[in-house]
Amino acid sequence: MANRLGNPVTHTYTEQELVALLKARDESSFSYLYDHYSAALYGVILQVLAEQELANDVLQEVFVNIWRKIDSYDSSKGRLYTWMLNIARNLAIDTVRSKAYQNSRKNRDLTDATGGAVLPSGVDNIGLKKVVQRLKTEHRDLIDLAYFKGYTHEEISALQGLPLGTVKTRIRSALIQLREYLK
Amino acid sequence: MNIQEYISSGIIQAYVLGLASEEEKREFEELVAVHPGLQQAREAFEMSLEQHAMANGVKPPQQVKDRFLEAIRDPSRSNPSLNPSKIITMENEKVPVRQTGMARYVAAAAVIIVIGLGWFAFSAHQQNEALRVANEELKHKSDSTENLLNQVAIEKDALKKSTINVVKMEGTHPSASKSSANVFWDSTSQSVYMVVKNMPKLPNDKQYQLWALIDGKPKDLGVFDINDEKFIIKMNNTQKADAFAISIEQKGGSPTPHMDQIQSMGKLKAQ
Repeated sequence: MANRLGNPVTHTYTEQELVALLKARDESSFSYLYDHYSAALYGVILQVLAEQELANDVLQEVFVNIWRKIDSYDSSKGRLYTWMLNIARNLAIDTVRSKAYQNSRKNRDLTDATGGAVLPSGVDNIGLKKVVQRLKTEHRDLIDLAYFKGYTHEEISALQGLPLGTVKTRIRSALIQLREYLK
Repeated sequence: MNIQEYISSGIIQAYVLGLASEEEKREFEELVAVHPGLQQAREAFEMSLEQHAMANGVKPPQQVKDRFLEAIRDPSRSNPSLNPSKIITMENEKVPVRQTGMARYVAAAAVIIVIGLGWFAFSAHQQNEALRVANEELKHKSDSTENLLNQVAIEKDALKKSTINVVKMEGTHPSASKSSANVFWDSTSQSVYMVVKNMPKLPNDKQYQLWALIDGKPKDLGVFDINDEKFIIKMNNTQKADAFAISIEQKGGSPTPHMDQIQSMGKLKAQ
């Protein structure tokens, strides 16, 4: 990948080396991190919220958060991408749930029938969402609510009129299925 | 726990994708530390997820990277209180400002309320303590007032009874010529009461002692002190008495009166 800053940086970091540089707040390592992961994370954000302008803002904020919180990253708990993925997903969901976003949606599409309890969804034909489309409906709906809309199992149970145990079992089954699809 | 069953339960996917509950997370982190197989399975899923995301990424506009790098170069941007400006401006621009202002007032009000409540609790405690003390004092006073009233009632009863003999004690001792007291003796109930009118206080090692004189012999009716609280003192009963005498004795009394210490005497009137 080309280095957009024009510095002769060699992109052969191991994850360990990269994390060490990031924790030292080395600017070129953040530039590398962005070049390497921004597309993957942007895809994740777009799965949660479909508006590109807003997704741009969220992506920028995700990287600022990574820069800010890198000290709290613990490699024993998972890979760097997994950590960043969760930051991106949470920030995107928070943005969708924010009052500002809800108001702008209301103003923009007064006739949008998706209002009410279920929040508007992102793009369906990219990333993990594309894989989720392969799940059977009852699984897909629950993953959509839990993963892309950030509802708790309890909220889903109430929304779908399903017993909490059923929600948990179905989500687990869906996750096992997803693992197979991703292999 | 069968770790293979655990691995294939979907917990790894729930954990990695952030769908595990806090309890599930804790359990997973404990188990992953001791089961290398679980860690390998987690890493395998993470890799597949990462590779899938990398292969399915969407390239963001260049301006996002420029803004990001600009943000981290500008130290003011590192302030955690800063939110993405674009997200804020989607709403009425005045609103976030007002919210910040309101938040400050609310925070300030909260601090004042907390301090106020603290002070209130402290002063309430102080007040409560003061009230408790005052209440006890009052109770004590009320107790002594009640005693006083009882004594007055007893005295009144004693004076009203026809069987009562009032013996006026006159000072006999040269140094105590003014010492006087009244002895009320109920010949029916045999009760004896002392009403001290004017008797000097004694040193701590001395007490007054009341005697009944029966056929010329003294009978001990008990010792008493002069204090402000008890102006009527119940003494020992006696069946008979020709006269009463008060002497000054060593504290605790004496089996027989020291005649030179007799302060007051009074004879019963002829019946």
